[in-house]
Amino acid sequence: MTLRNTTRRWGAIAQLFHWLIVALILIQVWLALRADELTGMGKLRELAKHKSVGITILMLVILRLLWRSRNPHPPLPDNLKPYERSLARFTHGALYALLFAIPLSGWTMSSARGFPVSWFGFVQLPDLVPKNHTLYEWLVMTHVTLVCVLAVIVALHVLGALKHHFVHKDDVLKRMLPFTRT
Amino acid sequence: MRCAPLVATLALTLCSAAAAAAPPPAAMPAAAAPAAAGAHYRLDAANSSLEFTFLQAGARNTGRFPRFTVALDCQGADPQRLEVTVDVAALDTDDKDRDDTLRSADLFAVKKFPQATFSATHITRTAGGYDAVGGLTIRGVTRETHVPFSFRAAHEGGATVGYMTGRTVVRRLDFGVGQGDWKATDQAGNEVTVAFKLRLTAAD
Repeated sequence: MTLRNTTRRWGAIAQLFHWLIVALILIQVWLALRADELTGMGKLRELAKHKSVGITILMLVILRLLWRSRNPHPPLPDNLKPYERSLARFTHGALYALLFAIPLSGWTMSSARGFPVSWFGFVQLPDLVPKNHTLYEWLVMTHVTLVCVLAVIVALHVLGALKHHFVHKDDVLKRMLPFTRT
Repeated sequence: MRCAPLVATLALTLCSAAAAAAPPPAAMPAAAAPAAAGAHYRLDAANSSLEFTFLQAGARNTGRFPRFTVALDCQGADPQRLEVTVDVAALDTDDKDRDDTLRSADLFAVKKFPQATFSATHITRTAGGYDAVGGLTIRGVTRETHVPFSFRAAHEGGATVGYMTGRTVVRRLDFGVGQGDWKATDQAGNEVTVAFKLRLTAAD
């Protein structure tokens, strides 16, 4: 496998971005659920990690799109129906949009609450909005709702990949998997 | 969590040492006894602020103590005596959950220790102003603390007023502000900067 993409499969860098972000999203959900059960210092600690990982995802998504813009994309198979093509384009677009919107809504939420975001204690990020409790409550709802939307889109994405592999029997799934041949 | 004022740079300024023998801490302004060339000041609360800045989860946050009293006596132009009493329960970080946490038994324990006080035993001149040294009491624990500040008197509309600003850094754990989980400093920093900007009015 090469670092760069080819017209047949995703390169190592693109795969790394993809799977690293998958892992970090799972960690995010776990941290958020843990924080919900805790109070006081424990909660602060889990939320601090959650914010730091969220900012990490945001940075990775930016790098990922930059990398994507400078690499070829392995195309979708020719035999897809137009609606399948549209659905694939929609889910991929929605995934990228959510990977921006979710961390940004979380960051904005922290600003509105008046609890600035620090990236692992190294850098304090600027507040995106002034403190505003009404906005904060609205953003909490937005953040959670967007995560639910992400869960739906991810389900579509996974089902699509499985359909390619088991129904169409093409290499759409395999070309994003390390240690496989296409 | 800091109270305001005075200062004393240890060895540096022995000159005003005499003054240092100053009046013993009186919790509140004593009945004004106009000294020869002295002035007795009280806080103009509406035009004064006492703030504390702390690190929370690696980010800087600020809160205020909206209710406190200050008594400052001057001999000539120089502050001689400073007493500050802070209503800790009134603390305000602009976040109700956090304020309630700060008031709780593991942090300020305001039910048991409703007040924090600073009582300067020496005030000395320094290059940049003054240094008050005295006992700072928070959560029932008293520690000797230096509070550098600047002070200037002015006449406004026939009245004598004083402007006093300064800041100092306290370590909350020195005062037991942080029991149990809150002894950890990774999410709530030990060092807290207390800053004040006061407008004082001469009482006599």
